[in-house]
Order: sequence, then C-alpha cells, then structure tokens
Amino acid sequence: MFESLVISYVQDLWIALTDPRKRVFWGYLLISLLIAICWIKWVSPDRGVRVKTHLFNRKVWWSASARADYAIFLLNRLAFLFIAPVLLTQLVVAQWLFESLYQWIGHRPILGESWSDMQVMICFTLFYFLLDDFFRFYLHKLLHEVPWLWAFHKVHHSARTLTPITVFRAHPVEGVLFSLRTALVQGIAMGVFVFFFGGRVDLVTVLGASIFAFMFNVTGSNLRHSHIALRYGKALEKWLISPAQHQIHHSTNPIHFDKNYGVVLALWDRLFGSLVISQPGQDIEFGLRREVTYREQNLLYIYMQPFIESFNIFLSKVRKREKSIAKN
Amino acid sequence: MKLKILVSCVAVATALNVNAAQNYADFPVTVKDYKGDADHSVSYTGQSARHVLLTSLKKLAGKGEGKDDQALQAKLLAYYAGKDAGREVISPVSKGGFVVAQSQVDEISTKKNLAGKTYKGAVAGWPGSMTGAEVLNFMVVKAASADKGFDPLTGYDYAQLIHKFAMGAVFYNQVVDNYLDEKLDADNKPNNKPYKEGQPYTGKEHVWDEAFGYFGAPANTLNLTAEQVYNIAKQKESAFTLADLNNDGEVSLYNEMAYAHAYYAAATDKGGKTNYLHTIMQAFVDGRQLISDANGEALTDKQRTELKAYAETIADNWEKVIAEAVFKYAGSTYKDLQKLDKLIQSNGDVNKAFRQYAKHWSELKGFALALQTGKDNLGETAVKLNRLIGFSPVLLGNTQVLGIDAEGNYVQSSSISMKEYMLHMLNVQKLMVDEFGVEARSNDVMADLGGLAEKLGSGASVEND
Repeated sequence: MFESLVISYVQDLWIALTDPRKRVFWGYLLISLLIAICWIKWVSPDRGVRVKTHLFNRKVWWSASARADYAIFLLNRLAFLFIAPVLLTQLVVAQWLFESLYQWIGHRPILGESWSDMQVMICFTLFYFLLDDFFRFYLHKLLHEVPWLWAFHKVHHSARTLTPITVFRAHPVEGVLFSLRTALVQGIAMGVFVFFFGGRVDLVTVLGASIFAFMFNVTGSNLRHSHIALRYGKALEKWLISPAQHQIHHSTNPIHFDKNYGVVLALWDRLFGSLVISQPGQDIEFGLRREVTYREQNLLYIYMQPFIESFNIFLSKVRKREKSIAKN
Repeated sequence: MKLKILVSCVAVATALNVNAAQNYADFPVTVKDYKGDADHSVSYTGQSARHVLLTSLKKLAGKGEGKDDQALQAKLLAYYAGKDAGREVISPVSKGGFVVAQSQVDEISTKKNLAGKTYKGAVAGWPGSMTGAEVLNFMVVKAASADKGFDPLTGYDYAQLIHKFAMGAVFYNQVVDNYLDEKLDADNKPNNKPYKEGQPYTGKEHVWDEAFGYFGAPANTLNLTAEQVYNIAKQKESAFTLADLNNDGEVSLYNEMAYAHAYYAAATDKGGKTNYLHTIMQAFVDGRQLISDANGEALTDKQRTELKAYAETIADNWEKVIAEAVFKYAGSTYKDLQKLDKLIQSNGDVNKAFRQYAKHWSELKGFALALQTGKDNLGETAVKLNRLIGFSPVLLGNTQVLGIDAEGNYVQSSSISMKEYMLHMLNVQKLMVDEFGVEARSNDVMADLGGLAEKLGSGASVEND
C-alpha cells in the first residue's frame, strides 16, 4: 500500500515535468528561459543587467516565499493522490450532457456531414479553447470577488517572489475548484461536440497537448510567474495577456487589485472592464500588501488560515441575518 | 544424464500440477455405503443435452423457407418439447479439425427436452400474456414459416429470439430460481442421502452439478483464458487440444464444450475489463469442493451459509453477463438504426441493413427477456426495459408490433420514429449501467467520449493561472 503510494507520487511528479500537457513541462521551461534571456539581452529597458544574476537570483529562487511554493507543490500533489479519485470527472459531465441533449431534443441530429474531419477537429479545438479560457477567467474573477473564495485564493497572492513553480501555489480547496472547472469545461465541450458530430470529434494537438495550450506554453507562459516583465506591446495586450500583465495582477499596489484575471485572452477582461495594459519598465512588488505580515510564508498558516477566515465570514453573515430578523 | 532429465521432468510435471487450477471433474464419491462402481460423483449430462438441444434448435429455426412447413415445425417442436429417441445433434457438429464426439442427443442423455424446464412465469415483454414456455412454443411455431428465421413484416429473427430467450428462460432460471435457491435448503435434497437410491452422488452434490451444467462452461475452464473458452465455443481448430481434456481425439459435448452464458461471459471478459467467467466458475468449483468435503454428511448451517454465498456470487455475476449482452446489443441496434437512417436519406438499398437490424434487435430482445427470468422480479427496471425496447423493432414505416390477435397474428400500429427509437437504445444502455453496473460496455453509444476524455487528460491538479 505504502509502496504503491510512493510509486504513484513519484510518477505524478515526473509527469508534471515530462508531459507536454503540463505547464512546467521541461521543454516549456527551457523555451521560457531562452525567451527570458533574449528579452533581457536585447529588448528589456534595463538590458544592461547581467543575465545570470537577473535570472538565477538566490533572493528569488530561494526566498521564504519560493520555498513555500516548493513545499506547497509537493504537499498538494500528495493530497491530490487521495482527492483526485473522488472528484467529478469530465466523462461523467459529458455523458450526462450527451444523454440530456438526447432527451431534450428527442433525437440526434448529426451536423457537419459535408465537413472534413479536420474542419470538425478545428471547430472542437477552438470551441474547447475559448470555453476553457473563459471559464478560467470567470472562476478567477469569482475567486477575487467572493469573500470566502478570496480567503482561499489569497494563498496564491501571498507569494512575494514569483517563479514558474508559483503556478502551483494554491490552497487544495482551490485545487478542487480548478478540477471541477476543468471537468465541467471538458465535459461540456465533449458532450456537445460528440452528440452533434459523432466519432469524428478530436483535438488538434502538438506533442499530445491541445495546439492552443502548446502555443500558449511555447510563447513563455512560465514567465507569467517570474520577475521578467515581458510585454507584448499595447496593441497585442488588448487581445492577449502578457507575462507583464499577469505580474500586474500580483501587484501590491491597490490600483492593480482585481485586474487582469485572464489567462490567454485579454478579451474577457476587456468585456468585464478589468484589463490593464503593462508599462515599459514597470517595477512591481508582489504580494497581498506592501507590509510583510507575520507568518505569511508559514505552511500551517497558509493551509489553515483560509478555513478560519471563511468560517468567520460565514459567521458574520449569520449574525447579520439574525440582527436583521430581530429588527423586523 | 538420463536420470537428471527424468528428475527435471518430474520436477516440471509436479510444478505444473501444483499450478493447475481445479477442474469441475473427478470429485470423489461420498455417498455412505455406496455399492456401485462409479469412481467419481460429478454428473450433469441432462444439462449438456439441453445445451445441445438449444444450439440445434437455433440452427433449425434458421432453416425455414418463408412458407408454411409442417415438417420443419414438427422437427423444431421435437427439439423444444419432444423426448423421443433419435434426435441427431444439428449443432455443434465436427468442423475441420475440431472433432465432436457425439452425433446423437441421446449419446449425452436420453428423454430430455427444453419445454419441461422453461420458466413458468408470465413474460411481460412479449405480446400475448403468455408464460415463458408458451412464448418459446409460439416463437418455435412462427420460426417454421419464417424465411431463414427472419420475418420482414415484424423485424423478428426467430433463431436469435429463441436462442437468447431460452438461455434465460431455461438455463438461468433453473439455476438461480431452483437449484441455487430452494434446493439449497437443509431438508431439500440433503447431503447425507444419495440423490436417488443407488446413485453415486448425494442430493446436494447433484443439485450443485446440475446448476453448473446449465452454465455451459468446459470442466477445465479455470485452466483456460476467456479467449480460449470463446474459441472453443467457436470451434476454432487452434482451440481443439485445449478443449480435448481427456486427450481422446474428440471434444465431448458433455463436459468439454462451451455453451450459452459461459460463452457470453467469455466473450465479454476477453475484452479485458471484466472477469465474469472465472468468478462464476471459481464459485462453482469452490462450492462443489465444500460439498465434497462434507463427506456425505448433512451440511451444517455454517456450511450452507457458505454455499449460499457462492450461489449468490454465481447469480449476481450471471445476471451481469446477461445485462452486458443487453448493453452490447442495444449498441448494435443503435448503430444499425444510424446506418438505416443514412441509407433512407440517400435512397439506398435498405434490405441488407434491415436484416442486420432485425438480427441485432432480436438478440437484444432475447437477452432483455432472459434478464427478467431470474429469481427476483425486476419491478420498475423490467417495466422500463420493456417499454424502451417495445414488442418489436420500430419498422421502416414507423410502426411497431403492439399485440397478438386471437389467431396469433401480430397487430401493428404507428409508433415513434426510428430516430427517437435510437434514444431508447441509449436509455437501455444507461439502464444497464445504473441498475446492473455493467462494466465491459461493448458497443457503447457514448464510447467516443471515452477516447476523447483520455486525450484531454485529467483536470485534477492544483494549477493556478
């Protein structure tokens, strides 16, 4: 039992680094590094700095915050070995939707029979990408705007230094929400497309990953969580979220709070009025607030505090309700 | 050197012997004061004869020429309800190098029929409010005048209907509602008396053997893979030596052949997702061992409790084997409907596709009716299943059989469309998953979702954006 647990754990960590469907696949990390080097050497406003010290700064990679990231990454992976099997899967959602569509419509109209298989695949891949990107945006927005959800999402924002591993800095409760989101998005895309297009539905992939995810990752997605303020320029940043824009999202400056929720597309932020374009030479401090608070990188605090906070939020709501009932 | 080889051979033989699983054979005689010369107590010849009667009946049901044929009808009834001597084995017969030992049913067992052992309850899923035995009789008579078993006006394939329904109404029903039910009671066929005076087996030994016989598995199933058992039933030459347990150069239809639900269990298991065949077989072998170990004494309450647990394993898994078949053929029927729809839209020739649809539907219907012949009344599940499938497939003019008139003719009326009927097939599959927890799920209408889900990968991870 213990032995098989260790094996699955090691396999899981190995997959995180070697599966091109994962953000921190070694190939993407390497490409991000190359992009960062090019940016610092030739494009960045402070291109005079030494590449080595700028990229491999111990103060970044071995800060208390980064060390907490690593620990959270390892602990969450372990926790998810137990949590993942009981979570809702995309297949359950897809099957339910497929059956429901059948019941609602009463029959199964097969669409796109004159389309080539490639056309069906492109449609599915695009639909899945748009749906996924929007759901990621919207859940992220909720995580910031709903008080009890924010209590959990604060874990991610309490990072003082950003490294690609910060992507895993999340409370397990958030992890459950992310998994449910993915199950829902994948389930909807699969259920709808297989229902209407049958067995021809497939994903356009590169190295096994969706082509959009691949493109996002080979263009430096790992720099979102880094100190490299890679900008795309004003025109492009209205459409795509650059690493610099995501770093604004992590800023301690209150004018940057609740901005740039998007992952790939800036479109959603524009629609909901939360888009901020990056500025050349932006100098941003990361974290929840400027002042460093006691225990903010303490693991026990990181894992337990969200429960206490969300419980207090719940309690104060109950009290408010009781008061209003008493008044009436 | 020679000695070394000999020693090695003995060692290998011993090792093989240790690894070999138990066959359902050679259990000792435990009857007290037995005077006969039998050297073992296993016997289920009557059940094997009934398997051969049914496989032969199926073959015969496909021999009609689309016109009234009294001679064929009489022959069909002889295999269904007759007991007279002289019935030849019509199937399975020798095929290439797969030589079958018996050519007459009486060589296996005499005076056996199917009708006498057929389910006596009412069959709600077939028109006419008949008992199981009456339904089979009705189908057998109809088969005689059908065209190779097929009736284009109703979409019935009688060879399939008879075969699949009888497997449930005779074999499954006899086992789960008789042998492994009341016959396991303490005072029914007790273990401290011979089954009948002078016989080499006790009451309980023979009850258990008869139940096993109806399953249709070769005696050495535990030493074979599901695929091998499947190949034996298909009479593949490659499987001949595996089947010929006693190495006499012939496959005995008594205990070396695979039939009925054992064959379907093997067919399901060879996909690798389930293990019905060996689970059921192991329970039969273990149960028989328990009875043998009682050494001719009456079984204690504890022993009977243990035996009933084996019986429950057998009944549960057997039911799932039938449910898996319902699932599978609902999927085939769905695909046939899809094909027919395309042909109709393109003004293509539908004859061949319709024949295929009738075959698959009849297999579905037969298994669905069989599922309802178990020990328990399936209640609402049965009602749902029967309503979803209907009394016949939805025909090309969107009609369906609604009943039978006083002359035994089918009455048809307008029904849902074929497209809507496809949804019924999906719901049949869903019902099998929800109510019976089928796992192999062949021909899953939603199978495309599974492959895609794998490609998209699991979303269970803690990645922030």
